[in-house]
Amino acid sequence: MAIIVNLDVMMAKRKMSLNELSEKVGLTLSNLSILKTGKAKAIRFSTLESICDVLNCQPGDILEYTNDE
Amino acid sequence: MSNRNNFVFKGLLIVAWVIFVGLCIEAGGLIVNFIFSLFKPEFVQNLYQKIDLTEMYKDNKWAFFGIYSFILSISILKAFLFYIVIRLMHKMDLTKPFNTFVSNHILQISYYTLSIGLFSFFARKVAKNLMHHGFVTDSLNQFWVDSQAFILMGAVIYIIATIFKKGVDIQNENDLTV
Repeated sequence: MAIIVNLDVMMAKRKMSLNELSEKVGLTLSNLSILKTGKAKAIRFSTLESICDVLNCQPGDILEYTNDE
Repeated sequence: MSNRNNFVFKGLLIVAWVIFVGLCIEAGGLIVNFIFSLFKPEFVQNLYQKIDLTEMYKDNKWAFFGIYSFILSISILKAFLFYIVIRLMHKMDLTKPFNTFVSNHILQISYYTLSIGLFSFFARKVAKNLMHHGFVTDSLNQFWVDSQAFILMGAVIYIIATIFKKGVDIQNENDLTV
């Protein structure tokens, strides 16, 4: 997919585990895992807001666009 | 799901099994008829439905094989249609029915129903045409009398299957929205 999720990079930068992020954001581990592995089809603004708030970053730090062609 | 619905579903499953067994017997009987009419025509009078097309075989082999291929394909398709229905009913989880397996099976059911309808329709036209050439095909009408019903049913199931498939796609997308 053209949109790449760099959640693991940001988590590594903030030295935060998936469990900790899941607790702070209020998302289930399975949903966070779907997001992290790039299987997600869509992300709600509220989820993105919570993640950015917890990781103290911008949406652009988590999502990246690359041209597949 | 309520107990009443569960009871109705199990009842329908039993009915589907009975119809499937009946259609398998019919298809088997017709295949045996076909083989006997080729190799031992005098014995056909003792067989299933007594379809005696030996006169047609003598006059025109193409007409004989054409009519028999229509009869056999329609009866085999009907049996296979009910095989898919039974497989769907056995494997379907009624608590979570909206998945790709169910939508694919409903789509398959619509394809088979439509093909049965179209086969029956063409077979009826061919049989009518053969009647003009002096062949007696009255006894075969039972095999394609319900062609329009099958076409209509196939079209309706196809529409339902398409809507169901779209619903499953939307649900999958919703499941993958975080």
